[in-house]
Amino acid sequence: MLLISCPNCGPRDETEFHYGGQAHVPYPENPNDLTDREWAEYLFYRENTKGTFAERWVHSTGCRQWFNMLRDTVTYDIQAVYQMGGAAARRARPTRS
Amino acid sequence: MANTAAFTGINGLREIRRSPASHLAEAFDTGSVQGTVTLNEGPFQTMVGVRVDRSSEAGARIASVTGGLPERCGDVGGTERVSVLWLGPQEFLVVAPEDAHDSLGGDLIGSLKSALGDAAGQVVDLSANRTTFELSGPRARAVLEKGCALDLHPRTLKPGTALNTEVGNIPVALFKTGEESFRLFPRASFADYLGRWLLDAMREFASPEVP
Amino acid sequence: MSTHQLPEHPDFLWHNPEPKSSYDAVIVGGGGHGLATAYFLAKNHGMTNIAVLEKGWLAGGNMARNTTIIRSNYLWDESAAIYEHALKLWEILPEELEYDFLFSQRGVMNLAHTLGDVRESIRRVGANKLNGVDAEWLDPQQVKELCPILNIRDDIRYPVMGATYQPRAGIAKHDHVAWAFARKCDEMGVDIIQNCEVTGFVKDGNRVVGVKTNRGTINTEKVGLCAAGHSSVLAEMAGFRLPIQSHPLQALVSELHEPVHPTVVMSNHVHVYVSQAHKGELVMGAGVDSYNGYGQRGSFHVIEHQMAAAVELFPIFARAHVLRTWGGIVDTTLDASPIVGTTPVDNMFVNCGWGTGGFKGTPAAGLTFAHTIATGAPHKLNRPFALERFETGALIDEHGAAAVAH
Ligand SMILES: Cc1cc2nc3c(=O)[nH]c(=O)nc-3n(C[C@H](O)[C@H](O)[C@H](O)COP(=O)(O)OP(=O)(O)OC[C@H]3O[C@@H](n4cnc5c(N)ncnc54)[C@H](O)[C@@H]3O)c2cc1C
Ligand SMILES: [Zn+2]
Repeated sequence: MLLISCPNCGPRDETEFHYGGQAHVPYPENPNDLTDREWAEYLFYRENTKGTFAERWVHSTGCRQWFNMLRDTVTYDIQAVYQMGGAAARRARPTRS
Repeated sequence: MANTAAFTGINGLREIRRSPASHLAEAFDTGSVQGTVTLNEGPFQTMVGVRVDRSSEAGARIASVTGGLPERCGDVGGTERVSVLWLGPQEFLVVAPEDAHDSLGGDLIGSLKSALGDAAGQVVDLSANRTTFELSGPRARAVLEKGCALDLHPRTLKPGTALNTEVGNIPVALFKTGEESFRLFPRASFADYLGRWLLDAMREFASPEVP
Repeated sequence: MSTHQLPEHPDFLWHNPEPKSSYDAVIVGGGGHGLATAYFLAKNHGMTNIAVLEKGWLAGGNMARNTTIIRSNYLWDESAAIYEHALKLWEILPEELEYDFLFSQRGVMNLAHTLGDVRESIRRVGANKLNGVDAEWLDPQQVKELCPILNIRDDIRYPVMGATYQPRAGIAKHDHVAWAFARKCDEMGVDIIQNCEVTGFVKDGNRVVGVKTNRGTINTEKVGLCAAGHSSVLAEMAGFRLPIQSHPLQALVSELHEPVHPTVVMSNHVHVYVSQAHKGELVMGAGVDSYNGYGQRGSFHVIEHQMAAAVELFPIFARAHVLRTWGGIVDTTLDASPIVGTTPVDNMFVNCGWGTGGFKGTPAAGLTFAHTIATGAPHKLNRPFALERFETGALIDEHGAAAVAH
């Protein structure tokens, strides 16, 4: 069970959250300009990092807000939580030690 | 039940309105252990979902109708008569007695709507969305702890705090109204489930404590 | 329950050779798929100067962790073809491998709990029949006759409204399957090398010519990736991407019990699938954890949810004790179908994306992947499962048949 620190509500059980996959994947500026390969990349290809991974979560039974998180996909250790739209704070702010 | 007061309005349908856990009223009564932990479904209330940026002008106008908007998670604003629960950074649940409803002679929803005006936001009548359970007594916390992962210890959770969380695996707003009393706001469709879940969790307290 | 005895087997089923400096082909990953691939490379294509490199011990990944359900009742023609081919291979492999790995065709039921499930299931039975897959639709009474311990009352949260049933489906002993393949590979001269982790690839231009390992660099003509949950990691080393997300998938067993459960029961809707293993333990699988994870463990609430569903369906389980729980790392794709074929790197091939349900596919994965590696082109059974389908849009959406349960 992960204990996730929502930026608005503080630490809550994982069951209150939903997972949103890789963070920082922008919608293509102009989808019509993409090749099939590029469109496939946008639709189906996401990083599958073993190690520190920037991902999105939503506090669905709490404040219903999305946020970003850095989590180690091997140890499941949560290394940082930061706002949507914020730059990936590479291991910047450990929320738990 | 308390919910049979003879209000008119709602196109005359008020008379036949049933609260979502009314069928459990008797079970709540017999399942309650006086002096230990008691459960009952509260009266109908007027509930309004409000979405607004509390730092905006519209936010200030709405705050003047409700008697304030809470600033952060856990805070409850309002007045003696009206509670405003923080649901999210820009989302609030306004809870008032039933007769505050515009169809029953009140003006809460209308006032909130005009306070919002054309500004970005939302005022929605959610009076039928949730019901309220009152759980109180010295073992109320122990009952909740069987299915709520929040730290409910009094050193952390103070009276006057409301949190959106899960109890028995379903989403509820949990309002600690006193040292030993909690108000739970489940969605109407979960009222039966949560009511039975709470009864089950209370059951052990009807027997003498095993030392 | 089976009257089979577990076969006596010798102390060593394979040797533990030192890696040679070069091979005609190297298979990365010594799970079921890697071993089956090596077996068919040797047997069907005469390629015996090959090695299977396994970073841990043989078949200690998902092969050691799955709930061993074997069936072929998938919806689409492409899937029915490859999984049914696998099932036919399962039927002959014990003899071919001279090893009774206790393939028990006790039938598999997929329960329907909603009207939507019912419609979907009946559609699938129809599609299966058209593809020559044995499939039947059972009403709740027939479900009860086949599996008397199932609760078919209509007042439960997810009542049983019927089930699809595949009589030829069943379970097998997963570790014995791995050992059976490993022994035959070894007999044919394949090097099975444990404790050998692939850490990189040597390329000449766009062509792979070797693998780097913690036991030195090994030259090779061809590389076949069979790394299941670690496929993305290896692809990244080789310089290409895969549309794979790795998730934890958990399962558990109870203590041993008298035979109570004669078949296999799966429920996609409530995320549980149950059989009783030969020794008597109840084997139950759960759903995947939502988040990406390489930790071989998932969250407890998933297990809790699975148990709640199991006890509602099988009230008799309420007093069974859980003996142990574990997790594997499953390689999921967006259409819940595998990827078996060529890669953007010359002479490198990939078999992955079997996700939550690749044990049943082991023989067909091995057969088709060996064909692809040996000839450089896909077998007709795996042609639809090429990596390119994510570009062409020719997806094979098996979520209904494959998603949570297997
Ligand atoms: C809990 C659970 C239940 C399941 N239930 C079922 C079921 O009932 N029916 C079904 O059909 N399927 C089921 N599956 C899925 C099935 O187990 C997998 O699809 C299948 O085992 C994958 O193929 P494999 O056996 O080759 O994988 P694995 O056994 O995981 O083999 C991959 C191997 O690659 C090795 N490896 C990784 N990286 C490297 C490296 N760098 N160098 C060298 N070696 C490396 C790993 O150590 C591992 O041994 C289940 C899976 C799980 C986790
Ligand atoms: Zn929150």
